[in-house]
Amino acid sequence: MPTFSLPETVFSFGGDEFIYAEITRDMKVESNLKALAVTKELRDRNIPGISDVVSSNASYLVRYNPEVISGKDLVDYLKEIDYTKSDPANLGISVRMLEIPVWYDDPVTRECTDRFIDRHPDPSLSNLEFCMKMNGFSDKEAFIEHHSSIPYLITMLGFMPGTAWQFPLGLKEQEMIQAPKYKSPRTDTPERSVGVGGAFTVIYPVRGSGSYQLIGRSAVPVYDSSQKLADFQDTSFLARLGDLWKYRPVNESEYMRIRKEIKDGTYRFNKKDIELSPLEYVNKGKKYIQELMEDIQ
Amino acid sequence: MIHIKKAGFWTTVQDTGRTGTYYLGLPPSGAADKYSYYIGNMLVANPMNFAALEMTLVGSTFEFHKRTVVALTGAPMKAYLNHDPIPFWEAFEVKEGDILSVQECRKGVKSYLCISGGVQVDEIYGSKSTYEFNKIGGFKGRKLKEGDELPINEPLPGAFKQVGKSVPLTYTPLLDDFQELRFTIGLSSYLLSDEGLKNFLSTDWTVSYESSRVAYRYKGGKVSFSQQHRPFGAAGGPADVVDFAYPIGSVMFVNEEELIVLQNDGTTGGSYVSVGAVISSDLDRMAQLRPKSTSRFRAITFDQAMEARKNRKARLGKLEEILL
Repeated sequence: MPTFSLPETVFSFGGDEFIYAEITRDMKVESNLKALAVTKELRDRNIPGISDVVSSNASYLVRYNPEVISGKDLVDYLKEIDYTKSDPANLGISVRMLEIPVWYDDPVTRECTDRFIDRHPDPSLSNLEFCMKMNGFSDKEAFIEHHSSIPYLITMLGFMPGTAWQFPLGLKEQEMIQAPKYKSPRTDTPERSVGVGGAFTVIYPVRGSGSYQLIGRSAVPVYDSSQKLADFQDTSFLARLGDLWKYRPVNESEYMRIRKEIKDGTYRFNKKDIELSPLEYVNKGKKYIQELMEDIQ
Repeated sequence: MIHIKKAGFWTTVQDTGRTGTYYLGLPPSGAADKYSYYIGNMLVANPMNFAALEMTLVGSTFEFHKRTVVALTGAPMKAYLNHDPIPFWEAFEVKEGDILSVQECRKGVKSYLCISGGVQVDEIYGSKSTYEFNKIGGFKGRKLKEGDELPINEPLPGAFKQVGKSVPLTYTPLLDDFQELRFTIGLSSYLLSDEGLKNFLSTDWTVSYESSRVAYRYKGGKVSFSQQHRPFGAAGGPADVVDFAYPIGSVMFVNEEELIVLQNDGTTGGSYVSVGAVISSDLDRMAQLRPKSTSRFRAITFDQAMEARKNRKARLGKLEEILL
């Protein structure tokens, strides 16, 4: 039986109402797929007394009501489910792959990072140049190509509604673009900014504070409270756990064209439904991811 | 309906909070000091989860357009009903046209105005609580403003029988400037060094002015992190782990000299090192701490946490027998 090479999950109580389960300390795609599977199973079982089930990057969190269910019994119960979700053969999920057009190195995020230059570890560089330097790139186009060549798995939602952590698929750890956060957060970040922090990429759903390195701006929203666009009909949030997002670099004129379509309410995301097979990912790695990326429209 | 004549510092509609939305990044919100909030509902014979008004440091002035029964609980703010002083922790009747003026408090932070039948606003994701940051729930998603007309429900059957009933002093919370906060140790506590953990537990931490419904912020001590390898994927220095979903009450280090404890409007996830989470009954007491007051953190076992929870429940049960 091919299993994820994951250690035993570590459980701890968070006060009297939470149970925290740490699958791994390091970020791994396998940990996330397992968290997704355990939390889905738990939600499907509809256990009385469980009020919140949260899948995170490499862990999960459960909130429960101790008047209805014993915390110790629940930990034992979670351990059983957790154990059955270590076999990638049983963890296939139906997800979407969406294309996110991005204007890399755009003037708006550049202007913003210029304003907060005094908080940056390397004030002589733009955020994008800083990310290039940290990851050994001297050519901007090569950096953009690297960032946009593979899809990202939505591994966690939160921080504020609409924010999604995305982790690159099909790369070895040493191939992933990584960047440290600002030590003191910016008090302002333009909405739809694309940021890199650690090995994660995020898109800021609305304007607000932030500490990731900004490398560009998404032409499309990830939060639409008016739900005017067809792809937001069911919910105001674009991100769903387990979905894959693939960035496509666009220039200024294409960015503007897309912005107009969004304003007019006519924009449709390029996307496709896929069956994500953790087993094939474990066995084939990058080759499998490349197959998945074929003909997205 | 209640007409808001003076907004006060920070008055919002709160109930027991949301469930089932944490995974979206939407925190529970809800009354910060649930103990006081529950007793307020008890006094006016409401179910425990009815929506009330939570006031902060300086209360609001209300003109009632409906005869009903109300009660004030929590931090004892100076309060007047048509210029006559009115006590906290006691149910009283208000008539149409009465003006209730709730002013500043010298002790504590949060006070509750509970109204028989509860505040009438729409439920968003199953709760009437205000989440100010995202303008969700409550009255128009925000704190109250002068001139607002807040709908309230009809008083419940039997409500007027509650008038004059009051909470015995032994049941009201002690609003001391020092609170010991009990927490269960765990989460990423392994990232603190032994020395750091010792310092954390032996320091009287001082509440800073930036404390809010999102988080309580403390300064005044210094911890140190262990020299473990930095988790892969984490976005920062020694105080960062791979982003995870924070429990409410999570005790986290922003850096070696600043710690925060997450409240009901807390950020639902992030990468701060967390040593554990404060138990719910002590989060109530923390919410009443004013800036510059102090806290010490005491690690307890899960069984002790359950014992504390049972005690609080028993206390509220006994009080209910007295009041109803």
